[in-house]
Amino acid sequence: MAGRRVTGVAASEGVAVGPLFRYRPQRLEPERTSIREEDVGREVERFHAAVERVARRISQTREELERRGSSEEAGILEAHVELAKDPELSSEVERKIKEELKSPEVALLESAEEFAKLFEGMEDEYLRARADDVRDVSHQIASEIMGVSSSSLFSQMEGPSVVVAQNLTPSETATLPKEKVLAIVTAEGSKTSHVAIMARSMGIPAVVGLGGEAVEELSTASVVAVDGGEGYVVADPDPEELTLFEEKERRASAERESLETFRHVLARTRSGRRIEVSANLGSPGEAEEALRWGAEGVGLFRTEFLFMQRESLPEEEEQYEAYATVARTFSGRPVIVRTLDVGGDKDLPGIDQPEEENPFLGWRGIRMSLDEPELFKIQIRALLRAATEGDLKVMFPMVTGVEEVRKARRLIEECERELEAEGKPKGELEVGVMIETPAAALCAKELAREVSFFSIGTNDLVQYTLAADRGNEKLKSLYRADHPAVLKLIEMSCRAAEEEGIWVGVCGEAASDPDLIPTLVELGVSELSMSPPSIPRAKKVVSEL
Amino acid sequence: MFEREVSVVPKAGLHSRPAARFVKTARGFRSDIVVVKDGNEANAKSPLRLMTLGAKCGDRVTIRATGEDERQAVEALAEILSKEEE
Repeated sequence: MAGRRVTGVAASEGVAVGPLFRYRPQRLEPERTSIREEDVGREVERFHAAVERVARRISQTREELERRGSSEEAGILEAHVELAKDPELSSEVERKIKEELKSPEVALLESAEEFAKLFEGMEDEYLRARADDVRDVSHQIASEIMGVSSSSLFSQMEGPSVVVAQNLTPSETATLPKEKVLAIVTAEGSKTSHVAIMARSMGIPAVVGLGGEAVEELSTASVVAVDGGEGYVVADPDPEELTLFEEKERRASAERESLETFRHVLARTRSGRRIEVSANLGSPGEAEEALRWGAEGVGLFRTEFLFMQRESLPEEEEQYEAYATVARTFSGRPVIVRTLDVGGDKDLPGIDQPEEENPFLGWRGIRMSLDEPELFKIQIRALLRAATEGDLKVMFPMVTGVEEVRKARRLIEECERELEAEGKPKGELEVGVMIETPAAALCAKELAREVSFFSIGTNDLVQYTLAADRGNEKLKSLYRADHPAVLKLIEMSCRAAEEEGIWVGVCGEAASDPDLIPTLVELGVSELSMSPPSIPRAKKVVSEL
Repeated sequence: MFEREVSVVPKAGLHSRPAARFVKTARGFRSDIVVVKDGNEANAKSPLRLMTLGAKCGDRVTIRATGEDERQAVEALAEILSKEEE
């Protein structure tokens, strides 16, 4: 007989089969409800000591999440630390201890419940959900006072199991014994709930939002099979289903392992051609993670993060630090920095940007930089100085012809002279252009004589060539990097580069597309740059060419 | 006493993460600080009270401080509310 199958939300990819561990949070039942008057001082102190310990523990978990790259979850725990130390909560707890002679654990649970109820009565859905945060934190503090360790929550879990729960709080998810958790299944939650996000960052398969009834029903099963990519769970699978899951598991783990072996190799085709597989970065903080994924360099370092959401433009020093940090992290491997690429769709502090009807055909990228040389020169000076720290290169976005490149080069020379006159050390800065307008591809021959490399920005090149907005749902079938018109422009750029002896990279989404990599390599591209998690797969594809 | 009225700029309003930053800054000052919205007052050092104000992006709130560093406190906190979170 086939097992019962329940469908939920596919929250974290992967499959697993195993015994079920039904997690039910311990209901904290304080044995001591009242205290003696002479103990008031001591009990207040115990409460504060427990708050301190719990706040410290949450902070440590927060740091760990930050290191693992789950910054969103880290943010939640950051808020939990402040909740634990809430002065209004403390004073209410103290009042209950002193005036009502309640034990600190009871005083805390009662006070927290009052706040939780307050949140539950609010209109805003987000704020209603904060009731759980208050309960989560106060539960941890009360456990601490009572000497119930929170790590014992999962202590009855003997071997590797699938954890099935109504819901898991951030603190519960963070304290899961990861090595034993095969998968997570919850009644509540969505793709964006804490447990889903954390499961993805821990690489644990998860299906959430099954509903309370389905989870209760599942709980009687002895074995469950979970498919986190498809979003379903099978209770007590029959032999046929088990075989299917084993097959899925085998394929997935073979895929993982085979990619793992490619993570840190230098990508090379069968015929021995070296293809550099690099990372696209949006901020210096992503550099370490990119190295862990096996990045051989940085093919696109966007600099917009330095300029957005702030009241004044960044100084040279701040920019220098950002560029130098990435150059040092990649110790001698190439790091290509793209100069500021914003237009009328994003605000820049202190720059008067006119309202534009078509910001993507407007005053942006190199066009703006050349019109605002003082702004541009700060960036160039910072880059020239940071070039002493590694193999830094610069490239210009939105180029349409040689005149722009010549102007930009003159500004670079000006900056070099300035730095020399000031006696400031500077390094060599190779110059390249992005090929992202059809005009640049059509003028590739002339451009190639002016620069040291091309980087094809396929996302914009596709959009501009096909006159198709990539965000437009209705144009989805038209917006294709493998459209013959786009491929012709890429081919022209590659041929011009070859004739002039410069190299070509690709930094759009096409660079990580397993179906397009063979064509790009065939056309002569020698560097592929992508978001870091795609690197191992791209290396594998290259190695099989 | 020193006070200032500001609009809440962060998209998330005075919710958990912005509230955490706001509270951390508030706790760095000695003054008593409250945030007032629609006549309701909340202790600026208490994330629980602050969140129950339900201040959303675009709402006008008053930051009021009383104490030796009241002016600096109000200015530092107004600054946090007047820009998007980094």
